[in-house]
Amino acid sequence: MATVEFQGVTKRFGDVVAVDDLSLRIGDGEFMVLVGPSGCGKTTALRMVAGLEQPSAGDILIGDRVVNADSPGRRDIAMVFQNYALYPHMTVERNIGFGLRQRKMPRSEVQARVREVSALLGLEELLRRKPAQLSGGQRQRVAMGRALARHPQAFLLDEPLSNLDAKLRTQLRAELKKIHQMLPTTSIYVTHDQVEAMTLGDRIAVMSQGRIQQLGPPQEVYDRPTNLFVAGFIGNPPMNLLPAAARSGVLTSGDLQMPSPNSAEGEVILGVRPERLAAAGDADPRPGFDVTVDVVEPLGSEIMVHGSRVDSAPGDAAAEITARLAVGAMPAPGERLRLAFDAETAHVFDAATGAALRSS
Amino acid sequence: MRFSWPSPRHLFLAPLALIMAAPLIWMAITSIETPDQARQFPPVLIPHGIDWHNYTRAVDSAPFGAWYMNSIIVSLVVVVSNLVLCSLAAYAFARVRFFGSNVLFIALLATLMVPFQVILIPTFLIVRHMGLIDNVAALIFPNLVNAFGIFMLRQFFRTLPIELEEAARIDGCSRVGVLTKIVLPLSVPALSTLALIMLLWTWNDFLWPLVAINTEKHMTLQVGLSTFQGQHQTQWTVLMAGNVLALLPLVVAFLLTQRSFVRSIAASGVKG
Amino acid sequence: MRFLRSDHVTGWLLVLPATLVLLVFGLIPIGWSAVLSFQHNDLLSPPHWVGAANYQALRHDPVFRKSIHNTVVYTVLFVPISIAAALGVAVALNTRIRGISVYRTAVFVPVAVSTVATAIIFNWVFDPTYGIANWLLNELGISSQGFFQDPDQALYSIVAMTVWGWIGFDVIIYLAALQGIPQELLEAAAIDGAGRWATFRSVVLPLLSPATLFLVVWSTINALQLFDEIYNTTRGGPLQSTTVVVYYLWQQAFQFFQAGYGAAIAEVLLVAILVVTLLQFLVSRRAVHYTS
Repeated sequence: MATVEFQGVTKRFGDVVAVDDLSLRIGDGEFMVLVGPSGCGKTTALRMVAGLEQPSAGDILIGDRVVNADSPGRRDIAMVFQNYALYPHMTVERNIGFGLRQRKMPRSEVQARVREVSALLGLEELLRRKPAQLSGGQRQRVAMGRALARHPQAFLLDEPLSNLDAKLRTQLRAELKKIHQMLPTTSIYVTHDQVEAMTLGDRIAVMSQGRIQQLGPPQEVYDRPTNLFVAGFIGNPPMNLLPAAARSGVLTSGDLQMPSPNSAEGEVILGVRPERLAAAGDADPRPGFDVTVDVVEPLGSEIMVHGSRVDSAPGDAAAEITARLAVGAMPAPGERLRLAFDAETAHVFDAATGAALRSS
Repeated sequence: MRFSWPSPRHLFLAPLALIMAAPLIWMAITSIETPDQARQFPPVLIPHGIDWHNYTRAVDSAPFGAWYMNSIIVSLVVVVSNLVLCSLAAYAFARVRFFGSNVLFIALLATLMVPFQVILIPTFLIVRHMGLIDNVAALIFPNLVNAFGIFMLRQFFRTLPIELEEAARIDGCSRVGVLTKIVLPLSVPALSTLALIMLLWTWNDFLWPLVAINTEKHMTLQVGLSTFQGQHQTQWTVLMAGNVLALLPLVVAFLLTQRSFVRSIAASGVKG
Repeated sequence: MRFLRSDHVTGWLLVLPATLVLLVFGLIPIGWSAVLSFQHNDLLSPPHWVGAANYQALRHDPVFRKSIHNTVVYTVLFVPISIAAALGVAVALNTRIRGISVYRTAVFVPVAVSTVATAIIFNWVFDPTYGIANWLLNELGISSQGFFQDPDQALYSIVAMTVWGWIGFDVIIYLAALQGIPQELLEAAAIDGAGRWATFRSVVLPLLSPATLFLVVWSTINALQLFDEIYNTTRGGPLQSTTVVVYYLWQQAFQFFQAGYGAAIAEVLLVAILVVTLLQFLVSRRAVHYTS
């Protein structure tokens, strides 16, 4: 077990900068998630730790040792690939044991580890089968087993659940978390799915265009996004963003007026998460606005309402609002609905820079 | 551009390429030498000037033109015939349920299992019975259909989404219409692969044309070339000139179309 | 009208032309060849039955035995050498260094040269007096050899010539197979700690096994049917050292007008090819790995 660190790491492919001066330290036993849209550099960063790409600048350290010059086989890391990368001509048993045999481990010990790992992942019945005879979920478990059997210093996981159907994904996500709790190995997990990021990470690093936009525990990133990008990326459905103006301590956006939570002046963006909106009566003292209901999606446990603000011009994209309401009276399309929120749950962002403005 | 050391692979690949190319280069050099230069040992590697007389003598002493014509005619007819007849049959086997299709398919495939040399003599007797010996038609009839084409196209047709054909039939297309308007246009890669392979086989075919044709001016290029060698046995310079004349077009065609050539060969062999 | 439009009729109409051709020039000759082998047929006068006499004669025919020996020696040399060499060349060519297309072209071009043309070139290259092969050997300090004119060397010279002519085909197949190996598998092996050779042996080679099987079967069948190159170089000599089965077949049928005897040879060849191919497929079940 060890720490993994990026020190000023940059990676260029020709003119394209995939990773831009990345500095990040992952603690011993920490489960770090790199999350962001495609092309943000998360996979490239992971591959540099694996040794499959070389940094254009900067150092990669594993266990406080610079490993830039080490080949992948000598870094004592294990990787789980998106497409599993199981050796198709070997049985599950031989797939799991391959890395151990390459390190000249004695046969008895290889067998012991294979047994240990297959018990953990429920693979005992499948040991004699070949990958072609397994389902997607089983293959992914074998891929994890291969990594686990190595007892490496760090696990690298490259979108391992993307190729699975929704139900399996939820299942394996929970298993992954359980395994990490049992054997806390330093892990770096790359995904574009913010739900995976939130549920799995001890800390998450939201990345965009090769840079970390925000780093922190999931709840903190959710509660206090540092900029518009993070605010829009984390949370499903995404945060509602309302253009507003701040003047003399008052925030105005269309018909909405509320005391400004900080001393900023000028053009701002007001952010309110869909889950923070509630259907309100006219007498509700909380800040709010009226929408015309467009689409109602009953989810069983809650109701998703999509509507357009009444005080906006038709066709204005910023007028689209999404709200997650508690189950109750279902609004009908075309109806006028008042939505309100608690002032302290709102976020304010500078309209020009996108940076979050917090109360001083 | 950042400087990087030339790969050590060059040390292996360069001599290899030289060994592969050397016989051809040597042939070309000999074809422009005078007979005296050719009869030197150690051999003259760089000829003193170019002597084209070998080529004129080759062309004068043998009907290369007729040989080319015969090869071209036979190859063209065989390729077209295979494309048409194999497509029809392959489509039927791939998509049409008809009585006895499985048995028939296996029977036709059996013709692939038996090497040509085994049926060489009976084929000769049949063609002689048809009165076609020493006629270019003798080279065409037995090759009008090669079961390999049926097998290959059937495999390919089956990979096409059947929904396309079903949609076309709902739109009113007949079976044959579906074949010509939907399936064949989508099968161009497979068809061109088949055409290329049949072209190569027919152009380079030797044993059957040797047996079936006796008159020099009815011969195909390969058999003609073989008799040419017989006539000019130790006249190496003329022999090499004739050889160049015979193999140049295919080699040039290969150099120009190397990509698709290579892809066709690769497609025929790689499964798994 | 209903009946005429049915699938059964359509199906048969579509396959009819091909079936006719393959019936007349494929299936009937296959049967006829077997029939011929029990006859005495000199291609001129009417044939007559001789029962198993041709096969009996074959059993005691020393030239036939020699032809089998030559064919087997040729095949046993040609197949492993050409395939192993092709694999090495394909691995070397599977890269993007500068000039790679030149190297690849040089390896592929001989495939486009016909067997006849190849034979003529090598008659010249291997000429004992003036050929460049001996010139090269002399430069390396080795004395001149007889090649096609030496009974002890002729068959091996044929092996060398045919390897030159065919290796490009094998290389093309192997190159395509190598490029079909998913990059991720090689990365996983690297992370698992396998070095270059271990990765090649444990990952690459097994994944190439379908291509290897194809090439082994294809090369073996072609080797057993060797004819063109023999006819255009050594004509079965010197001293019958290069008489292979198909050459002997042709001689018997079309030079000595013993068509029945030739047909018997053909039947033996057929059985041999079927048996060998079957054996190779049986072995392949254990050794060949297909990715789904």
